[in-house]
Amino acid sequence: MSALTFTLTTSAKQRIDCSPLTTDTLTGKSLAEIAAIEVLVGNRYERADSVFDISGDDAADIKFANSTDKLDFVGRNMTTGKILVDGNVGAYFGLFLEGGQLEVTGNTDVYTACEMKSGQIKINGNAGDFLGGARPGRRNGMTGGTVIVKGNTGDRTGDHMRRGVILIEGNAGDYCAGRMISGTIAVLGDVGAHLGMGMKRGTVLLTQLPSRGITANFNDCGSHTLAFLPLLFASFKKLDSQFASVESFSRVQRYAGDLAGIGMGEILVKI
Amino acid sequence: MIINGVTIDETFAEAFPMKGTRLIITALNAKWAMISAQTFTGFATSVIACGCEAGIERVLDPSETPDGRPGVSILIFAMGGKSLAKQVETRSGQCVLTSPTSALFSGLESDTEIALGQNLRYFGDGFQISKMIDGKRYWRIPVMDGEFLTQEKTGVQASVGGGNFLVLAESQAQALAACEAAVEVMRKCPNVIMPFPGGVVRSGSKVGSKFKALNASTNDAFCPTLKGQTKSDLSPEIESVMEIVIDGLTKEDIDVAMRVGIQAVCDLGAENGIRRISAGNYGGKLGPFHFHLQEIMA
Repeated sequence: MSALTFTLTTSAKQRIDCSPLTTDTLTGKSLAEIAAIEVLVGNRYERADSVFDISGDDAADIKFANSTDKLDFVGRNMTTGKILVDGNVGAYFGLFLEGGQLEVTGNTDVYTACEMKSGQIKINGNAGDFLGGARPGRRNGMTGGTVIVKGNTGDRTGDHMRRGVILIEGNAGDYCAGRMISGTIAVLGDVGAHLGMGMKRGTVLLTQLPSRGITANFNDCGSHTLAFLPLLFASFKKLDSQFASVESFSRVQRYAGDLAGIGMGEILVKI
Repeated sequence: MIINGVTIDETFAEAFPMKGTRLIITALNAKWAMISAQTFTGFATSVIACGCEAGIERVLDPSETPDGRPGVSILIFAMGGKSLAKQVETRSGQCVLTSPTSALFSGLESDTEIALGQNLRYFGDGFQISKMIDGKRYWRIPVMDGEFLTQEKTGVQASVGGGNFLVLAESQAQALAACEAAVEVMRKCPNVIMPFPGGVVRSGSKVGSKFKALNASTNDAFCPTLKGQTKSDLSPEIESVMEIVIDGLTKEDIDVAMRVGIQAVCDLGAENGIRRISAGNYGGKLGPFHFHLQEIMA
């Protein structure tokens, strides 16, 4: 069996809603049935085969080739299987993901891993704003699973994040962990301004002090040896990420905040 | 059956079903992991009065523990899931949470689980922090020496309690030496504990008593000073009897431990004053697990 491959045949001028094209919706369907599935292109529904050249037969292993940032909602509500996007991908990559694996070779647009529940998303490029966040007007971001970003993330990473892990190998933008409810965000690079603004609970783990410092809303709780950190690093070992090779450490400087709110969040900086 | 001059009685040890779990205690160093484990397993020799039976299974290398620190593996058994949960919670709270630098983890995976740190977290008075790592929830409870880390739940499995054998010797010193030799090799067996002091019981019991308030009383048939007063099971040359009680996660684990323990006793042999190996049973009324000594040693 070969991966079920959707190759974009035209340079898309309108945004394409790819949510009907997941392992859950395509399993058990023939190529003819898949070709007849209607996808929303701009404000019109079109047959999938008018947008994509479709080949392969393994619906549990889907590939989007020649992809652009116009492909939205890839992997929406998926519960099992694997989707690989070759190129960039649009907004809401992995929206409501409940299981399985998503991977993109390029960059993602806004709201990646939005309200994700479980599974794993790997981004080999950069991620847009609101990674792991909640939809506009909603108050619970991702509630489980793991997101790995090889590059940088935009602003408001982990906005309203409730559970799960976001691992950023590059830099994170402004307002990282803003309004975070719980979960873990780890960053190997630098972090932008207003880190943890409105943070309620949860952990931000940094390997270096942010170049813009820690905001005044966080109080320094001193340096500590935290026993849970070796367990956390051990859990990273099985991931295809730079975090797997980071030398485990448990000595950190602990900052608690946002003290303008309940102040139960923490920023841990390696010392 | 006679091994090295030691008679193996044609009898069986009678054991009963229990619920058990394994916990892993770690600390800054091996000394404090052991202190915490010893405190947890203290006063846990018999369910008759202690509520549970617990003991140290083995010392763990840092490479074997979840947090990479020195550790100790302990087993704890009780008559049911609820009583086990109660014992685990109170002992964890009073003996491990309180012990400097300690952390507490589950050492047993099972579909059936009981609380480990699930309720201890409230000691954190709202400052406790939950962490989900690899699908398991942990609690970080702030304490005066830093943070107490504990897993939220531990697995429980159906287990076996009360496996035993009796060592009948010509003197107290010889019985004790034989039991020490047995316990030393039995402690190398996985999934079992010998919950009594040093692994040895000198006050084996029978079911019932002439006093109505007591469920168990001294096993007079094996008391050497009563040879002329009661229906004794002892021949004139026997001056001392000691018992080794074994609890295990499975019947097979107890089988193995009994075999190596009895063999260690028999290796000392008649020339060291060991005359017989027997076992405690209650005519099959106490429990469904029967450990026939001669079958085990065949």
